[in-house]
Amino acid sequence: MNDKLLVETAVLAGEIMLISGAEIFRVENTIDHILRKAGRETSEAIVFSTGIFASLNDLSIEAITVARRVTGRSTNLNRVYLVNDVSRKLCEDRITVEEAYGKLKEIRTTMQYSRWLKDAGIVGVSVFFTLLLGGGGRDFLAAAITGAVLAVAMEVSSRLRLNDFCMNGISAFLIAFTALSVEKLLLPGIRSDIIIIGAIMPLVPGVIFTTAIRDTLNGDYASGTARMMEAVVIALSVAAGVGAGIRLFQFMGGQLW
Amino acid sequence: MVMQTIGAFFAVISFALVLELPKKYVVLAGGIGAAGWLSYLMVDTAAGSVTAAAFLSTLLVALASHVSARIFKAPVTVFLVAGILPSVPGASIYRSVSYVISNDPELSSHYLVQTLQISGAIAMAIFIMDSLFRLIQKK
Repeated sequence: MNDKLLVETAVLAGEIMLISGAEIFRVENTIDHILRKAGRETSEAIVFSTGIFASLNDLSIEAITVARRVTGRSTNLNRVYLVNDVSRKLCEDRITVEEAYGKLKEIRTTMQYSRWLKDAGIVGVSVFFTLLLGGGGRDFLAAAITGAVLAVAMEVSSRLRLNDFCMNGISAFLIAFTALSVEKLLLPGIRSDIIIIGAIMPLVPGVIFTTAIRDTLNGDYASGTARMMEAVVIALSVAAGVGAGIRLFQFMGGQLW
Repeated sequence: MVMQTIGAFFAVISFALVLELPKKYVVLAGGIGAAGWLSYLMVDTAAGSVTAAAFLSTLLVALASHVSARIFKAPVTVFLVAGILPSVPGASIYRSVSYVISNDPELSSHYLVQTLQISGAIAMAIFIMDSLFRLIQKK
């Protein structure tokens, strides 16, 4: 068996999982399982939220060690699922290392839903959250407008490569300002509070928070606290953005429109 | 309550698109989320406590996620992160901020504490379910 390719496959699998938002425990576990297929004496995988180290060693070979820095992160559960599937098949000897490597290369860039569908998802979250919180017909319309503004704001900020704090803050600001303006100009009597709550849901760091908890429980305190901090920072930026939006609207109340 | 549960179902499905949830599990994740929100509403009405509601509904969602993960041989995360979306305390964060702005520090800190309590309750529920399933797996 080609040890080098095996290590490369293991690290690639880990990298995709880590970027796509899997827990540290699962990433280490996957790399470990793949490395063990080599049957060498020691195989180690160390994963942080920012990088991966994997090593394979035996008296009969020179140690193979790969370090990989991981930057940029976006939740993609489909990739986590697919990599999990490939590693499972590889460990059960249903596919070869070469096949697994090829598949992982494909998975790295796979996308299930188009940009439009994702934007529709953002609008959908705001509209259906309004329903979930007990809103009615006119509230949906306002939620759809606010959700569309959010989708555009997120699109623009990702093109501009804004950092998380600015992106969430500005998006939340626009949500609050849009919802209040729609209430004043177009649809008086709507419940702007539940519309704002619904629209900020795609920004609120529920996913990061969940992963942070599971990392901490698994004893990965370093990445657990890092992710927890990330969740706190994002929550604060959303809060600051919403606050600024409401305040600016009140401040301009009656003057601009 | 029925309408709200339907809302939760479609909200989770919409969120699933943003998270790139595998296509074949989208509807299942929506169902888990809807069941979670229904239990949230029922506990909230019966006990009058959002923290208890968040705790019990997350417990249910985590249980359903672990069971689905084992049936379909998929990572737990796939079902869990979308399913808990309705319980995430976005509303408490918003209210806390909006009361800061309307100069009501008392209500603002009430909702801030509520945000922390709900987050803690969600964390605790996920903790418990993860630990339980680890015990079962070891046997």
